[in-house]
Amino acid sequence: MRSPALAIAWEFRRRHRWGLIAVAGYLFVVATIRFLILEPGEPVLVDSVRFAAVVSVPLTTTFVYLLAVFSFGFAGDLGARHSMYPARMFTLPVTNAALVGWPMLYGTVAMAILWLAARLVAVWPSGIAIPVIWPALLAASLLAWTQALTWMPYGLPGIRLIVAVLCLAALDTVVLLAMHFKAGEPMMLGILAPQVPLAYLVARFAVARARRGDVPDWRGLSARSGDIADLLPRPRDHFSSPERAQVWFEWRRHGRSLPALVGLVLPFELALLWLAKDAPAFVFEILFLVLITPPFVAAFTAWTVSKPNPHMRDSYGVPPFFATRPLTSAQLIAAKLQMAMGSTLAAWLLVFVALPLALAWSGTWSVMMDRVQRMNGAIGASRAVVFVMLVLTGFIVTTWKQLVQSLHIGLTGREWLIKGSVLLTLTFLVLLGPIVEWFIDSPSVQRASWNALPLILAGLVALKMSAAAWIATRLNRSRLLGDRALFVGAACWCVAVLALYAVLVWFVSTPFVAHYLLALIAILAVPLVRLAAAPLALAWNRHR
Amino acid sequence: MVISVSELTRRFGATTALASVSLAMPRGAVYGLVGANGAGKTTLIKHILGLLRAESGSVRVFGLDPVADPVAVLSRIGYLSEENDLPGWMRVDELMRYSRAFYPAWDDGYAEELRQAFALDPAAKIGNLSRGQRARAGLLIALAHRPELLVLDEPSSGLDPIVRRDILGAVIRTIAHEGRTVLFSSHLLEEVERVADHVTMIHQGKIVVSAPLDDIRESNRVGERVPSLDEIFVAHVGRDAAQAPEA
Repeated sequence: MRSPALAIAWEFRRRHRWGLIAVAGYLFVVATIRFLILEPGEPVLVDSVRFAAVVSVPLTTTFVYLLAVFSFGFAGDLGARHSMYPARMFTLPVTNAALVGWPMLYGTVAMAILWLAARLVAVWPSGIAIPVIWPALLAASLLAWTQALTWMPYGLPGIRLIVAVLCLAALDTVVLLAMHFKAGEPMMLGILAPQVPLAYLVARFAVARARRGDVPDWRGLSARSGDIADLLPRPRDHFSSPERAQVWFEWRRHGRSLPALVGLVLPFELALLWLAKDAPAFVFEILFLVLITPPFVAAFTAWTVSKPNPHMRDSYGVPPFFATRPLTSAQLIAAKLQMAMGSTLAAWLLVFVALPLALAWSGTWSVMMDRVQRMNGAIGASRAVVFVMLVLTGFIVTTWKQLVQSLHIGLTGREWLIKGSVLLTLTFLVLLGPIVEWFIDSPSVQRASWNALPLILAGLVALKMSAAAWIATRLNRSRLLGDRALFVGAACWCVAVLALYAVLVWFVSTPFVAHYLLALIAILAVPLVRLAAAPLALAWNRHR
Repeated sequence: MVISVSELTRRFGATTALASVSLAMPRGAVYGLVGANGAGKTTLIKHILGLLRAESGSVRVFGLDPVADPVAVLSRIGYLSEENDLPGWMRVDELMRYSRAFYPAWDDGYAEELRQAFALDPAAKIGNLSRGQRARAGLLIALAHRPELLVLDEPSSGLDPIVRRDILGAVIRTIAHEGRTVLFSSHLLEEVERVADHVTMIHQGKIVVSAPLDDIRESNRVGERVPSLDEIFVAHVGRDAAQAPEA
């Protein structure tokens, strides 16, 4: 290895050789289909599902994979404050320009090759004009910005994800708008050409900052309430129990992130209400945006909640300080669940206080009331109240669920499992679009699905209850939960299911939906398996 | 027996970290655990704390399995980790308040005495403390509940020489005189020689020597000359392994 450039290239190739071989294999297979199986010159008629299966889904997956490879995403921690650029490389005797430039160049070349190869060998439907350069440039731009934004050190855990998603979505939106207005290739190149150099400058700044250890720490800001509390007489009382102490620990470590982030985003969203005075429909879009903010932000902060040691980089194991608390793994999980509940309620308290004030001050309250009165007239006051309560409860429970539902994965401490689940989720999200489109476009599939709905739901319920029984047995055998705790837990879950079922029966009073279907829905809706698996996951990690 | 390890074997992939290790530690003594880098000392300590599950063999602490019954075992152990991973966001007084909740035997007076002896500002954030100060804070919470078993994993690596010489040794001796047990790993053999009653030398996952310090000295005597622990260690594990003895 005679140069840093070659050494960096070798590292990418050596570490990801199997993935890169798989990409090459995919391109080889589609090239074989294109050039050997399909007759050259023949028009190609592929429907959207086949096109998705053969071209768009594998291409998107490959694109996401290359994003992770060239931004060092497999080795870093998306949720951490520190740069995701490997710290071991900061001590190499090379300039910041080299540290940034080579991975960015290799990534750009890889994206360009991917697009050009796909354009050349993939099976595209006849009659559509496939652009030459700008998709490659778009992929390179998205990669460059991903690199810049993931290598940047941030002041708070979890901010990286939010900033990256917002910036990449903004770039995507600009490109989609340009496509919508049928912009030509020169216009697209004009939009995209400056992106890579701009991202390079940002990435250089990010790496320079990370290299000199300049990591901003805004935890002081998020803990401003803690500083204010310091001015007040500090609580000197002792904790009444170890469990209370652990809840306090979890709250101080994770609990304030969600309300703080929701509090940061909310003013900007609510400010839109002043612009929407004359557009009632827009008011409800803003309202929806406000209501999905806590669960959306919770999905990101969950990353740190489910990680045993968020403040230590590249660490999935349980730190000794946490592992040696004289509490059972079930008690440690219970503290996390209580913290998540407190965090959720604090975030929603902010929403419930800020939203009516903003509606009143912006003059859009009347628009709200008008819609409420219309709903009253349509379904009756009591049903309207229950409907609103159900929706709000649904949002609150979803927020809490977002915070805790990945505990059973994150707390295992097994890197392969955590990263595998992320990959599976991404694959599912990529596949979701084509599946939904296929479902919408196929009346026969819709009819068959509707007819089979009871069976599908019953199958899912059977799966859920079998998994729950297996987990309960494991919990009992490993002495993580005693008989009494298991019985109380099961009873609470049954009460929640029955309550939801009763509300659904009362609300959905139509002969078209059988009551047993509502019962199945209630059983599936109330969380059980993933929550119950969390103590097992922690114990697996804590006692390796 | 406070600690009873029987035929404990642990593998990490192809590496055997512990090979049929058996050890018994009665109450009221100071045990020094020494060995070269990667010898298996921290792995053994982690098994005793229940942070690693015995793949084969058994580990009993106070007669209990530390994996199956972590609360009963850990509430009687004071532990200072080599990793020094106290939460950086806590203040010293918060750390004391938090730790107090887990140990019914926590002694407020003793905790305050230790805090003053270690010169720790109660309002200081752990994250802003120096490495040595963090080690002192860790030692404070390990000691303040007067544990029946004190486990110190490389305490010397974080503590400055003054605390190490004047405080650590005194604390360890006091604990032993009170009939409690101390297990500590160290790469400073003269320190082990100064405070330990019983020395266990571990090499490549196997215990090569485990006996009272006086017996070890006596059995390695060359005429009138009693060799140092350093010389005895070299004689047992070889010069190469003894170059950088560490936990």
